Amino acid sequence: MSKAWLAIVAAVVLLPVFVRQAIATEIWIFAIFGLGLNLLMGYTGLLSFGQATFFGSGAYVAGYLLKYYGVNVFLALGVGIVVGAVLAAAVGYLCVQRSGLYFIMLTFALNQMFYFTAYQWTTVTGGEDGMPGIPRPSVLGFDIHRPLAYYSAVAVLFLLSLWVMKCIVDSPLGKILQAIRENELRAEALGYNVPRMKLAAFVVGGAFSGLAGVLYAMLFGIVPLESIGFVFSGNVVFATLIGGSGSLYGPVIGSFVFIWLSESVSSMWARWPLLLGVAFVIVVLFFRGGVVEAWARFWIWRAVRRAPDAVQADASR
Amino acid sequence: MNVPLLFSQILNGLATGMLYALMGIGLSIITGVLNIPNFAHGALFALGAYFLYTLIQLTGNFWLALLLAPLGVGLLGVLIEYGGIRPLYKAGHDYQLLLTFGLSLIVTESIIIVWSPVGMSQLPPPILRGGVDLGITFYPKYRLFVMVSAALLVLGAWLFLEKTRYGAIMRAGIEDKEMVALLGIDIHRLFTAAFALGCVLAGIAGALTAPIRGLNPWMGVDMLGIAFVVVALAGLGNLLGSIVAGLLVGLAQSLVALVWPEASVAVIFAVMAAVLLVRPQGLFGIR
Amino acid sequence: MSVLTRREILKLGGAATAAGLAFPVVLRAQPKEIPMLGLWSFTGAFSDVGPVLDRGMKMALEERGMKIQGKTIKYITRDDETKAGSATRRAEEAIDADGVKYIIGPWSSGVALAVSEVAKRKKTFHYFSGGTEDISGARCHRYSFQWAASPYTAAKTVVDNFMQANPKAKRWHLLVADYAFGWSVEKYIKEVGKGHGIEFVGADRHPLGEREFSNYVTKAAGNKPDVVAMINFGLDAVTGAREIFNFGLTPKVPLILTWSSGVEELVQLNPEIRENMWVGSNFYYTADTPVAREFVKSYQAKFGNPPGYAPAAAYGMTRMMLHAMDKAKSTEVPDVIKACEGLEVDDLVGRMKVDPKTHQTLRPYFFMRCKKKEAMKNAMDFADIIATGSTPLPAEYAACKDIGSL
Repeated sequence: MSKAWLAIVAAVVLLPVFVRQAIATEIWIFAIFGLGLNLLMGYTGLLSFGQATFFGSGAYVAGYLLKYYGVNVFLALGVGIVVGAVLAAAVGYLCVQRSGLYFIMLTFALNQMFYFTAYQWTTVTGGEDGMPGIPRPSVLGFDIHRPLAYYSAVAVLFLLSLWVMKCIVDSPLGKILQAIRENELRAEALGYNVPRMKLAAFVVGGAFSGLAGVLYAMLFGIVPLESIGFVFSGNVVFATLIGGSGSLYGPVIGSFVFIWLSESVSSMWARWPLLLGVAFVIVVLFFRGGVVEAWARFWIWRAVRRAPDAVQADASR
Repeated sequence: MNVPLLFSQILNGLATGMLYALMGIGLSIITGVLNIPNFAHGALFALGAYFLYTLIQLTGNFWLALLLAPLGVGLLGVLIEYGGIRPLYKAGHDYQLLLTFGLSLIVTESIIIVWSPVGMSQLPPPILRGGVDLGITFYPKYRLFVMVSAALLVLGAWLFLEKTRYGAIMRAGIEDKEMVALLGIDIHRLFTAAFALGCVLAGIAGALTAPIRGLNPWMGVDMLGIAFVVVALAGLGNLLGSIVAGLLVGLAQSLVALVWPEASVAVIFAVMAAVLLVRPQGLFGIR
Repeated sequence: MSVLTRREILKLGGAATAAGLAFPVVLRAQPKEIPMLGLWSFTGAFSDVGPVLDRGMKMALEERGMKIQGKTIKYITRDDETKAGSATRRAEEAIDADGVKYIIGPWSSGVALAVSEVAKRKKTFHYFSGGTEDISGARCHRYSFQWAASPYTAAKTVVDNFMQANPKAKRWHLLVADYAFGWSVEKYIKEVGKGHGIEFVGADRHPLGEREFSNYVTKAAGNKPDVVAMINFGLDAVTGAREIFNFGLTPKVPLILTWSSGVEELVQLNPEIRENMWVGSNFYYTADTPVAREFVKSYQAKFGNPPGYAPAAAYGMTRMMLHAMDKAKSTEVPDVIKACEGLEVDDLVGRMKVDPKTHQTLRPYFFMRCKKKEAMKNAMDFADIIATGSTPLPAEYAACKDIGSL
């Protein structure tokens, strides 16, 4: 386990050397977003197609306070988390009563509702123009305007979030959620209040999304309309899937791959969403476990190749 | 209240409502039989419109194009189901859904590459241009045509599903797939047929819409959300419900646009949320 | 209309991967180079204008042999995806990683506001071609300049000249995009209209991105106007014009497109829809100035069709920027800004002057009448320019009270 942590800390430290700081920061922000989604998707088996609702709302509310009221950064982060959690509680309450198909469609349609509200409420959100001019107040006296400084702050928050998510996943709640994913009826039979557990997962996911949203707003100094749109929701699903939804670190890897790919490809070809769609289809058809599973499969394959006799011996025992 | 305006708005609502019903039925069939919310439904709607445009360019005949365009979309649906969705049966509904999401991106981008990112206009056929004086108000002929033909198509779909053997099989597939398979019916064929039928309906809706709203590559995006609302309101797999829900949504949209235009889209989703809170199975679903 | 061939993509792909992985060091422009950014849309809602905007700016730079004051001009483009968020990111990236100090674009007003913030924050020179009043108004600052005419100029040109051609058309119905820009133009049209004794029998606001215009058209028809004037742009204008035609309102009743991009919008309609349409625009390719004639000739020779507003605007803005550099005899941003303030030249659309107090370019606005199908000499012969106007925004309306310091 700690090998994975070492790898991640190394990645955090080395990334800005290889990638532009703004992109590197975006990767960790998106990873936080993905962690939130994965609690729902990977661990509870709930495919939420509307996580941008909480990401965007966190960004807008915190951004608004930062811009017009000059609140300090901790308050902004807190607001983002709370807004994400509260909205997730409301949306989640509506959605968890239904399962499977309905759940997915509802998360999507409610996301649309928030999107269109943000789109039309131009006096507050700026509508299509987004909300530019979001400041980056200093953290405990440290100025975080320089890209590297902000990167460090975000990286720290990411590591913190990852640790928190690990704790959640390892906790009894985490186990119950996985049980729900495996067999909902049985979990219910065991006496667990399934809807309430699902709602809890939803709220946590929303909190993470809201946090990511605030960080995103401060990254580029703008809350764009897309941050609350369903394309964004789809992107985080895709990134998590690519990384591997079955593991804690999947969203982190997925975020890295997705952001890096989308940034580099989109500046080369105008029609890169086509490649994204194709990649999506290919991953879904052939690489469902994502990078994590492909990686695991690769190691198993190597082990088998290296010492087939040993494996045969093992198997026959 | 301005009566002519109200009357036109009601007509507009019925016209758009009919289109929503078509989309709803198509999506309902797909979700009912295959159990996946088809995220590509909006993109297929757009494709129907673009096929119509090109067929008119090629043949000069609106009616022929109107017939062939949806069939083209249906054919694509067969390919998608066979090549993409079927291999994923074992993987589960989530992955089939994600496939359709990826496909929606591919279709939309392909439209931009093949046709153009710029919007285009498509005039209605000459006999349907201009308007008629309905006494109370002046109304475009083409919109009346859309209302009538969509209604006929909806009726046709309903008759097919209710009165024919194939329709019965499809409805049975929505109710209980296992039983249908046990009865010896090729379930895979059923799935392909259902998906293709849904695509054809989306294609027709798109083709009919083109002369009203013009064509642009993202014309299906808004439609997708509304189609989901219609299906959720109706109750999954409930076809009659989709018709009523479609009309309701269309009317709600145009009437709200009279008093609060900015909210006319968001209101649809709010209504859906409200209904689902009170009746999670939708207006007509059984639970 | 794809931007790159497959081979180019593969080449770029290989190069980019190698560069991205092997060069951790950020490449900065050499001191003898001036990086300039064209921030255009290659994807998203305005993706059709990206390539032509690129053409316009490139043409203006190539006229100077890609050199200014002995230094080489490094022209780079970035895709803003017609989105404020992407524009902000790409602009910042260009400034941080490529050393860009001059930005032309973007196309969309909303996106421009975000870019203007970046320009202010990063102290880069920024010229913009859209109509939003904020850039030279409430959100004015020393780094952004506006090339399009003021909405007031547009309103005055349109109303005055339309009334001259149709003195009896006193009942006007307005269809306005529900957006700060729309409200400004609406306000000015009503102001100017008062002087002509115009009665505004209706004024409806529609949300941006509206696709369902039938409601508005029925309302308009119900008011029995002599003329319908639309204050919107892009796809909204095109969709609105189409619906108005479908309902049979036009061509009986004339339709005015107050703030049109001209060719880009007109090409999306048919001659039948365009009949009896009157169009106000910041540029039309039959403009009769030496610079315009040369530009249209070269553009047509190179690309086979006449330029629309987009390439003309990119061309015009780049030229204004270069004129400012000439006047400043320097390529340092503060010098160029000071030179640009008060700059007065005879350029693309006629006499153009930059107002130092608001950074608004004062220049003529065009008013055209669309042709019937029979009168069109070719597929792109949409309209004739019948008048121009250049009355600037009166000082009492200017929202830019203090443009600030560098």
